[in-house]
Amino acid sequence: MAPPIYLDHAATTPVRPEVLAAMTPFFGARFGNPSSVHRFGRDARTALDEARSRVAACLHAQPDEVVFTSGGTEGDNLAIIGPWRMRRALGRNAVVTSPTEHKAVLEVVHQIAREGGEERLLPVTADGVVAISALDAIVDEQVAVCSVMWINNEIGVIQDIPAIGARARNVGALMHTDAVQAFGKIPIDVTQLPIDLLCLSGHKIGAPKGIGAMFIRRGTPFEPLFHGGSQDRGRRPGTENVAFAVGLAVAAELQLAERETECARLGAMRDALQAAILARVPDAVVHGASVDRAPHILNLSVPGTDSESLLMALDLAGIAASGGSACQSGSVSPSHVLSAMGVSRGLAGAAVRLSVGMLSTDADIARVSDVFPALVEKARRLAGAA
Amino acid sequence: MAGRRVLVAMSGGVDSSVAAALLHEQGYDVIGATMKLFCHGEDLPDRPCCSLDSVNDARRVCQQLGVPHYVLNLESAFGRDVVQDFVDEYSRGRTPIPCVRCNTFTKFRDLVRKAEALDCDWIATGHYARAEHGDMYRGLDHAKDQTYFLWGVERHVVERLLLPVGHQTKAETRAIAHRLGLEVIAEKTESQDICFVPDGDHLKIIRRELGDDAPALQRGPFVLQDGTPAGEHDGYARFTIGQRKGVPGGFASPMFVVAIDPDTRAVVLGPRDALLGRGLVARGMRWMCPTPLGVGDSVSVQHRHRASPVEAEIVRIDGDEIELALDAPLSAITPGQSMVLYDGERLLGGGFIEAGSAAPRRLSLPVLA
Repeated sequence: MAPPIYLDHAATTPVRPEVLAAMTPFFGARFGNPSSVHRFGRDARTALDEARSRVAACLHAQPDEVVFTSGGTEGDNLAIIGPWRMRRALGRNAVVTSPTEHKAVLEVVHQIAREGGEERLLPVTADGVVAISALDAIVDEQVAVCSVMWINNEIGVIQDIPAIGARARNVGALMHTDAVQAFGKIPIDVTQLPIDLLCLSGHKIGAPKGIGAMFIRRGTPFEPLFHGGSQDRGRRPGTENVAFAVGLAVAAELQLAERETECARLGAMRDALQAAILARVPDAVVHGASVDRAPHILNLSVPGTDSESLLMALDLAGIAASGGSACQSGSVSPSHVLSAMGVSRGLAGAAVRLSVGMLSTDADIARVSDVFPALVEKARRLAGAA
Repeated sequence: MAGRRVLVAMSGGVDSSVAAALLHEQGYDVIGATMKLFCHGEDLPDRPCCSLDSVNDARRVCQQLGVPHYVLNLESAFGRDVVQDFVDEYSRGRTPIPCVRCNTFTKFRDLVRKAEALDCDWIATGHYARAEHGDMYRGLDHAKDQTYFLWGVERHVVERLLLPVGHQTKAETRAIAHRLGLEVIAEKTESQDICFVPDGDHLKIIRRELGDDAPALQRGPFVLQDGTPAGEHDGYARFTIGQRKGVPGGFASPMFVVAIDPDTRAVVLGPRDALLGRGLVARGMRWMCPTPLGVGDSVSVQHRHRASPVEAEIVRIDGDEIELALDAPLSAITPGQSMVLYDGERLLGGGFIEAGSAAPRRLSLPVLA
């Protein structure tokens, strides 16, 4: 059997060799605790500071505006709950987000509602884009934080963060964006952007799982969620993961260095795959196709199929893809993102996400272009016979 | 290996794990699948949701065997076809048998559908039953036999069904689990409860689905068979035919539940003899044998899990309704439970009990022992 094809880069990516090499000394000789007074501590501190500066530079931010986190979920929790806890006492008790966010944002907003805050959801169009026209009615002086994901992780749709952020900040709301999928795809310069908080995750860009970063603009009110130490200016206590922070810095720089060429390469592969599938399955529905979309994500539904069966058949054929949001048990449920866009239950239950990335080759695309329609045709024959 | 791919339904328990392992050992191309049937969500804070432990055990077994494992989400079908029916049946004063509903309408149907999508020639489960050429027979270990729950599986499904543990005893199954190094699951205790009923308390499910004010959960009268009031109960959903627990005492002989009337919420009490029936009516009759039997034919009938079968004669068939005359009386013929027909070890079919009846007129004389 041919080697398996990985088309799930939006889920995670392998650690880049350069990243692994950069991290290795910190599992050995350079093991010190950055808070220690001795030479081992100083050495670790130097490495951590340098990593922080390099990650900050990737965002055009100041080093003290970068907080290392364990990843996207922690970042989203900190970036929304932290400022909300400070501002609720000042009459800003509401948080605003969109219904197509990652659960790391949606569940945080639900939790805030349980803790006495007010949850407000922005309407999205059938393409999954936040309806800017509705923004002013929803984001007002009661809003502490407005959080909108830059690139949707399921369908790849790009939100107009500059426009949304500008309107949110006009009424004094803080603007947060989950940029976990956007980092390395969209150029980010926080000096030019109307945002106060931004989160990214290492394992989507060739760093290990368990590291991420939050940008928090100087002066942003913030109450920490963890307590117990003064690390990271008290914003995120706990001994820092020096090795992974170094890995994140290297991965982020590599990602930016190759951003333009890689985006062009990925976009060409994604478009070729989409065209090949549509040629053989003309009634396949590509979600978010008519709006601005990230180059690496293709999410489509074939009427008359179900994603659970299709994903299993793809896996057995050596093609790794994913469906809606996987729960803890690994079972697939219809996507809340597609439901929020008004996609019918049947079509949402057929959605498959194919995401290209660093491992993808033209040969992969050629094989999937062949296998995917064949599996679809077979699934439909069976559905028709049933 | 063409023609040898099998999709194994794995619950994470010892029986289905050993089934998968045995098939793997026999050279089958095994694919494991665990069905996620329900999610308690936050109802059970101290337990992981969605039977997560079971899924993880099945996954570990598959990993040990080096075969793929998937989770099949059957929540909505299971909720509609099994859980909803379960509470509806209690509302109607009957005692449902959800495992049969699940096997008949949910589990095997989806398994076959997935098997076809994945080019599997066979499906397999860890049931104690034997399948041969489309016929099903009682498991060799009669103490573990599960055919009572499998009568609704369609013949075309049985034709491609492998039941590797049906030819052995539970003790042998556990021994094989040890031999194959499946220590994770080898000594797991058996679940006696209905899978989606937490702590064996079916009232919780009724309350959750129908609300606190469901009639089946309201106070109602105990009455004797002649209509004499005999006190009050806290909801007829707490009772089943033949039950003695919770029934008032003080009578000359012990009293049992002999009927439940949802219209008046009455639980009818009678002496032990009143539980005996010489006839039985069932609906939803399905035949597993290739040619359905007819009026006048003799069968063995089992009316409860673990009950001994008795001989009977088919005296009436109307569409999917069937009536039997029993050679020996059966106790506590309970509406909602299954009645399953056998020819010796072979499963012929079954249906859902509608009612017990007085001795129906027979077409032939019973054979006197």
